[in-house]
Amino acid sequence: MARKGAAAVLFLLMPAGVMLAQTQTASQSGFVGSNVCRTCHPDVWSSFYKNAHYRSIASGKEPPERTGCESCHGPGQAHVQARGGKTTIPHAFSLMEPRQVLEDCLGCHARDLSRANIRRSEHTLNDVACTSCHSIHHAAIPKYLLAKQQRDLCYSCHAAIRAQFDMPSKHRINEGFMQCTDCHNPHGAFAPTWSMGQRPPMVEQAGTNETACFKCHVDKRGPFVFEHPSVRVVGCEACHNPHGSMNAKLLRRPVVFTLCLECHNSGGSGTRDFGVDIQSARHNLLDPKYQKCTTCHVRLHGSNADQYFLR
Amino acid sequence: MLTRISILLAIAGALHAQQMVAPTTEQVGSPRGGTLDNYNVTQSFELGYRFKTVGGDEGMYRSVDNIGNGLRLLSSGLTVNSKDGHGRYFDEILLNTIGLGNDNYQAVMLRIQKNGLYRYDMTWRLNAYFNPGLTTAGGAHFMDTIRRLQDHELTLLPQSRVRFRVGYSRDTEDGPALSTAQEFDATGSGLPVFLNVARHWNEYRLGSDVELAGFRFTILRRWDFFKDDSPLTSAGVVAAGPSISNPSDQTALQQFQRSAPIHGANPGWLGNLFSRRKSWGVNARLTYVSGHNDFALDESAAGVSQFGGAATRQIVAGGDAKRPSLAGDFNLSFFPTERLTVVNNTSITSNRIDGQSSYSEVNTGANLGTTISFRYLGVRTIANSTDLNYRVANWIGFYTGYHYSDRQIRTIEGAQTLPFDSSFNNDLYEVSDHLSSGTLGVRLHPAKPFTINLDGEVGRASNPLTPITDRDYHSINGRAEYRLKKLQFSVAYRERYNLNAPFSFTSFSSHSRNYSANASWAPNNWFAVDASYNRLHLDTLSSLAFFAGAGFRTQLQTAYSSLYLSNIHAANLGAHFGIRKRADLFTGYSITKDTGDGRATASPSGTTDPIQALLSSVQTFPLTYQSPLARLSIRISPKVRWNAGWQYYGYHEDFGLLGYRQNYRAHTGYTSVLWSF
Repeated sequence: MARKGAAAVLFLLMPAGVMLAQTQTASQSGFVGSNVCRTCHPDVWSSFYKNAHYRSIASGKEPPERTGCESCHGPGQAHVQARGGKTTIPHAFSLMEPRQVLEDCLGCHARDLSRANIRRSEHTLNDVACTSCHSIHHAAIPKYLLAKQQRDLCYSCHAAIRAQFDMPSKHRINEGFMQCTDCHNPHGAFAPTWSMGQRPPMVEQAGTNETACFKCHVDKRGPFVFEHPSVRVVGCEACHNPHGSMNAKLLRRPVVFTLCLECHNSGGSGTRDFGVDIQSARHNLLDPKYQKCTTCHVRLHGSNADQYFLR
Repeated sequence: MLTRISILLAIAGALHAQQMVAPTTEQVGSPRGGTLDNYNVTQSFELGYRFKTVGGDEGMYRSVDNIGNGLRLLSSGLTVNSKDGHGRYFDEILLNTIGLGNDNYQAVMLRIQKNGLYRYDMTWRLNAYFNPGLTTAGGAHFMDTIRRLQDHELTLLPQSRVRFRVGYSRDTEDGPALSTAQEFDATGSGLPVFLNVARHWNEYRLGSDVELAGFRFTILRRWDFFKDDSPLTSAGVVAAGPSISNPSDQTALQQFQRSAPIHGANPGWLGNLFSRRKSWGVNARLTYVSGHNDFALDESAAGVSQFGGAATRQIVAGGDAKRPSLAGDFNLSFFPTERLTVVNNTSITSNRIDGQSSYSEVNTGANLGTTISFRYLGVRTIANSTDLNYRVANWIGFYTGYHYSDRQIRTIEGAQTLPFDSSFNNDLYEVSDHLSSGTLGVRLHPAKPFTINLDGEVGRASNPLTPITDRDYHSINGRAEYRLKKLQFSVAYRERYNLNAPFSFTSFSSHSRNYSANASWAPNNWFAVDASYNRLHLDTLSSLAFFAGAGFRTQLQTAYSSLYLSNIHAANLGAHFGIRKRADLFTGYSITKDTGDGRATASPSGTTDPIQALLSSVQTFPLTYQSPLARLSIRISPKVRWNAGWQYYGYHEDFGLLGYRQNYRAHTGYTSVLWSF
């Protein structure tokens, strides 16, 4: 009986011993656990279960350095012993340089394909770190923990782009139909496959390697027997302002014939190395009939039946 | 404290948002939600009624603003979160909607996930598109269609080392439109016909991520299918009417039908290899898409020829087009020190588009035979870039880069006309172009809230495709920002100049300069103001070569140039007032004004040359688009708000470049109840 009692006591004490050992190990490494953090930071903790980072706590399988508050902020023992203070937090993001913020976040978030180009992105080069757009504890938009509505985040730096979305002809970002990330990857993108330089930067590619416009404007994508080479070689921006324009259909010019004639003047290399074709001698520019080129050349983005895009 | 932060964030959000009067951005406090089983649930609904009155060109109003009358679910939201992260079927549901019911812009966003097991994201969107088509064909390309987009993405085991992805996307466009058919011969007019738009695109995706030995490998297989089954039919009896080139043109289209189905598919692969180590990283991508389209065209038209005789035309075309497309990137990053990053990227793309089209025509009883066209357009680009990013100290850093790319365009144009000509023409052309560009930038961080970024790029291309493409260009960008929690101020400048002047008679120059200033101030939770100003300048000068003349005879004109000048001033002002924690008043104003070059009339007086008069009249397009708004939101109870708002839209073209002025003014408004719990 006494043996059984001793065994029962031992059995009961074992978990306590294990817990004590774990506490000592944690203490030695400086990790205190998220339950300690919640004591002084109830405002953060009260809604933390809604945060994507709560998964590390819910899982219960992650090591201390990848669990809860300390997975991002580092071991909290010094902070607790000092009874608070930002400088005692190993990774206090408001005190960190953009590059350090990036490195910390990529410690877990580098695994996604969408962030494969983050190190060479324009945002990284210009010190736009993760916390410039994401608010981990006070996210206004729960999905992706955005600090504000996505368009507002982008507008806060890209004021000239915002002005273009104020123009009469524009993609419907402000109306909520579209988002900037429909075309752009704010974490960086692969080099554009439809142009020679690195521009336009940070444009997401449709169909894995085509211009983003084809994501929605699938009827312009082809392939066509008679391609309009500028669409494939220069990109849609040859004729359109993608964000917004004072002219209808996002065009770069208010009337069509100037848009066409600025290329079709035998300049450039064209596809035959003797310039882009000039218009037919049958066309009299003074005749209003020939001033709206697309009245006849309806299949301007590419045609299967007619080399002049007539049908 | 939390409430104050939430209110400040909401105010800042409301102010930075582009000024749309509805849905209401003011929130009913910070909803704590209710508990159901072990879940926290919050919901909000904003149900309201919109109204509008439009004076002037309603077609242009529908093209630009398109806010209608009627009852709407202006917005709604639902969040469900498990409190311990161990929900039975899910741990999180996020649902947001905009404009459901009858708005011309509608969206639904849904996320459902269970920690460690799956994540499902869905978006559904609708855009009622209206365009009078005045610019492109004088109104003959009118469109009134609805585009619906949906995307579904399911990730299995999202937090594990092996993840699986399944996706589906759909894009449809349906609705009535007008198009034009050029009849009955090569010099005939484009006459309006009815187009019943019916385009459908479906994409299916299947992929996986595997992490092994510090490397992540991604593979994605995708299949997409496209159908354009938009038939064209007669829009009644339409006549071309006389023109300068043909004063006695009697062309009339009496009967017309065209079926031109295009069915295609674009199956593709994507592979990505990624790794990041302490001193180096690698990111490699390879994609291959094998696109093809099959098409047929059957057209019959009957009417009157330009000389007054009966005319008929039957056209039959058919064939296919293929496009194998390959793109690869190999990106190596080195981090020799904490402060230095070196990235080298090599890219190769190859697009080979080839197809054949058989075209047969019978014109007023005359069989014009069958032409078989063969076209090939191959575009191959190889590019390499190296970028260095060096942080000298915490307050200063530099980055610089060099980029080189080489592109070859290969064209084959072949044709054979049967039964008249049995020989086969086959012309082959090759064009190459080299682009070199260099970038240099500096980041300054003299004080914590103050940052300055400056960078520039210079580029030279040897043989660009078009006269307007970048050839000899540079860009300069500058930005200074002062950012505190309650005050933000920034100014920016950007210029981009390009000179493309290979020969004296074909030259192109463009100068683009953007200036912007932006300020936001939210001193407390009852007052905030946001203001911005942008000036966007663009001038381009392009040589022209075209045919023109007083009558039927035309002559090649090369002495003229196309000048385009745009001076856009855009300003935004928004102010938010909280009134005794009971009500919120938001007022805003935005204006976008292109002043052009300041001229009073489209064509300067005294111009006697008709060609110059025509070109001068389209050099600038001054117009004003403005929108003041006001919104009052009153808190009825801790969970309910009543809202009302008014927004005015004014569109004013100074010149009637497109035949007439499309000016309009519209008063829109709404009243709604927002319920959050």
